[in-house]
Amino acid sequence: MKNSSLFNKLSSRLDELSNLPKLDDEVSISKLIEEKGFSRREFMGWAGAMTSMLMLPASFTPLVAKAAELADRLPLVWLHMAECTGCSESLLRSATPSIDSLIFDYISLEYHETIMAAAGWQAEHNLEHAMEKYKGRYILMVEGGIPHAQSDYFLTIGAHGKTGEQSAREASENAAAIFAIGSCSSFGGVQAAYPNPTNATALSNVTNKPVINVPGCPPSESNIVGTLLHFILYGTLPALDVFNRPKWAYGLRIHDACERRGRFDAGEFVEQFGDEGAKEGYCLYKVGCKGPYTFNNCSKQKFNQGTSWPVQAGHGCMGCSEPDFWDKMGIVHEPLGDRLYHTVFGGLGADATADKIGVGILTVTAIGIAAHAAISLIKNPKE
Amino acid sequence: MIKLIEKIEGEAKLNFNFKEGKIDFVDIEFMSTRNIENILRGKNAFDALVINPRVCGICGHAHLIATVQALESCYSNLKLSNKAKIIRELTLNFELIQNHFKWFYLTMLPLFGHKQEILKATYPSQLMGKAIAIFGGQYPHTSYAVVGGVVCEITEIDIIKLQHYMAETLKFVEENLVKTKSENFLTCEDADALLDYEGDLPDILRQIKKENLLEYGKSYDRFISFGHNSYFKKGKSLKAKITHNISVLHVKESEMPSSFAKNVSFKDKYYEVGPLARAMVNKTPLIADAHKKYGDSIFSRILARVCEISQLLQHSKELIKDLDLSEKSYIEPSIDISKLSSSGYSAVEAARGTLIHKVEIENGMIKNYEIITPTQWNLSGGTKDKHGVSQKAMIGLSDVKTAELVFKSFDVCSVCTTH
Repeated sequence: MKNSSLFNKLSSRLDELSNLPKLDDEVSISKLIEEKGFSRREFMGWAGAMTSMLMLPASFTPLVAKAAELADRLPLVWLHMAECTGCSESLLRSATPSIDSLIFDYISLEYHETIMAAAGWQAEHNLEHAMEKYKGRYILMVEGGIPHAQSDYFLTIGAHGKTGEQSAREASENAAAIFAIGSCSSFGGVQAAYPNPTNATALSNVTNKPVINVPGCPPSESNIVGTLLHFILYGTLPALDVFNRPKWAYGLRIHDACERRGRFDAGEFVEQFGDEGAKEGYCLYKVGCKGPYTFNNCSKQKFNQGTSWPVQAGHGCMGCSEPDFWDKMGIVHEPLGDRLYHTVFGGLGADATADKIGVGILTVTAIGIAAHAAISLIKNPKE
Repeated sequence: MIKLIEKIEGEAKLNFNFKEGKIDFVDIEFMSTRNIENILRGKNAFDALVINPRVCGICGHAHLIATVQALESCYSNLKLSNKAKIIRELTLNFELIQNHFKWFYLTMLPLFGHKQEILKATYPSQLMGKAIAIFGGQYPHTSYAVVGGVVCEITEIDIIKLQHYMAETLKFVEENLVKTKSENFLTCEDADALLDYEGDLPDILRQIKKENLLEYGKSYDRFISFGHNSYFKKGKSLKAKITHNISVLHVKESEMPSSFAKNVSFKDKYYEVGPLARAMVNKTPLIADAHKKYGDSIFSRILARVCEISQLLQHSKELIKDLDLSEKSYIEPSIDISKLSSSGYSAVEAARGTLIHKVEIENGMIKNYEIITPTQWNLSGGTKDKHGVSQKAMIGLSDVKTAELVFKSFDVCSVCTTH
């Protein structure tokens, strides 16, 4: 029953969207998919994968497909702040050409500094035009931390000499939804690491609008696209955790669904890169994996169209979707064990036990779960 | 006239000064920096391996390799397996290849009035991203290279996947970029003969000739390349005269009053880096011919960058043959990093040219770290008496649109530059 009412709710949301004018009358998503050589079956296969990622029942697949097809009703504005462009790169590598087409051909990317054809005055005009024409309707995605430091002109962009902070603030004002893409925009990122020389900060600190954080360095393309599809489907913000991350993506720890988890439970650890354990795919905890403290779905979604992810490649998780991980989760190749204060979760980490005992014990998991639960209790999750 | 230049992976401001209808001088300014060097100071040396790829999301892999090599140069007798060396080189090649596709299709084609074909850029670069992910776990931002080797333990099946991605990329090149068997393209030594082929590259080169753009983009005809490996040679080229005996010690950074980016010079002279520089130093016949006919113009620069896609694919195929999976991926260094106080440097060829990292370690902690990026070389903002490479290439042009074309032919990246 619960599912069917949700189904109806999402259906009416999509009906509403389909009444909106298209951004470009000349193109239709289903026609484009066909032109690009994709069968309906392939497209539905993709939609099925997205459905399961968004933690919806398989029967919702047609809805997700429809949502994707309606993406051309929602203009997207993408701003760059202090960052490395890695998140855009992650998006550029997004899954299968159907998704690429969705992002680039169907969803009208009204403004994206890296990939749009315009530059200079023209680019700035495009941004202003998009913000005016689609007032209250556009989705804002911001990549990069917002720096304040050094001079009034810092990160001055655009022909009118606006600072990055001004642009971000103005664009946030009339956006239908705001997504902070990547750890920089979500939490300040690498430039905000000690001593934070440019005084970089999270997007949520420069606007009073609700910001959905999609952290990761970079976040996987599926988390970026999934966040967007979620908004198209629901028209509302997803359930968020204490750090404003969508629960469907950041609800579990890396450790919970790690492919090497069985090794951890059996007490089989890589003691040193290149050893026999490394060849056998043992747990990477002792060579610095921060999976037990990191909430993300990397092990399920992976990167580069599901090719791999750091732990699969033999390098521990570095905790990139957690706030301030640069300062709190070092040293990169050492476990956090025994350094219980000043770690994330105020030292609730369970690694000290694992480090000393080195055999599989479920206590570790139990404590981890307790940590997660404790944090969820601090603030009311926005269900 | 001030023009903001976007779509260079970040922003730069170009301030054009005109005199009698021609560009007389161009100020190049970068309006931000992230100060990564400052953040590195005081951190554990190995943390640089995860921080530095974040200098740039487009050439993060080059930063990883530069970091690991700079750290390794601090050790006196570090051993590295051939397997680890080959894997590092392969991934670097793949990163260069994916960059060149994106630059050509996303940045250059629209400047020639063509429709921006995003899928043509993303399809092959996705394939190369997957190829890197096989070794590195993800792309961008891998951290799989560590002091002493690499952490990945790949299998025969991974190699098969890799070969498949490379074959698909090659197929894309042969069906879109230059419509011929790649052997023909690779053995072609006559730049004009290339114009008879079909494909997106010959189309652009023909357009350059037809629209009389051949004289555009000429600079000092002075090239440099430091990052040598099994394919690239180290050296400099001055009007096609090549010297291989050069030292990083003569490379100097200097601050600029109006910009957050630093200038870079070699023996007090500005040099061009990038694919054209590499091809000149390597004496690649096709590029040498283009240079002989059309100098260091946009024609040669574009040809060199795109040509590198095929060359690196070909070379990577050979490299894979030398890969012995039974070798060790990682050999533990004989000294623990916490007992190491030393200094070192590395030079790596990134997509846009020579990338240099210098590091000083004290008891395993970073005391000082310096990063010199390729775009700093090409975009050094000189004075009216001594222009930077790209500044010189823009002077004398009569309109800003052409200047933008020339500027972007260097594949500039402000993300790296404002590290």
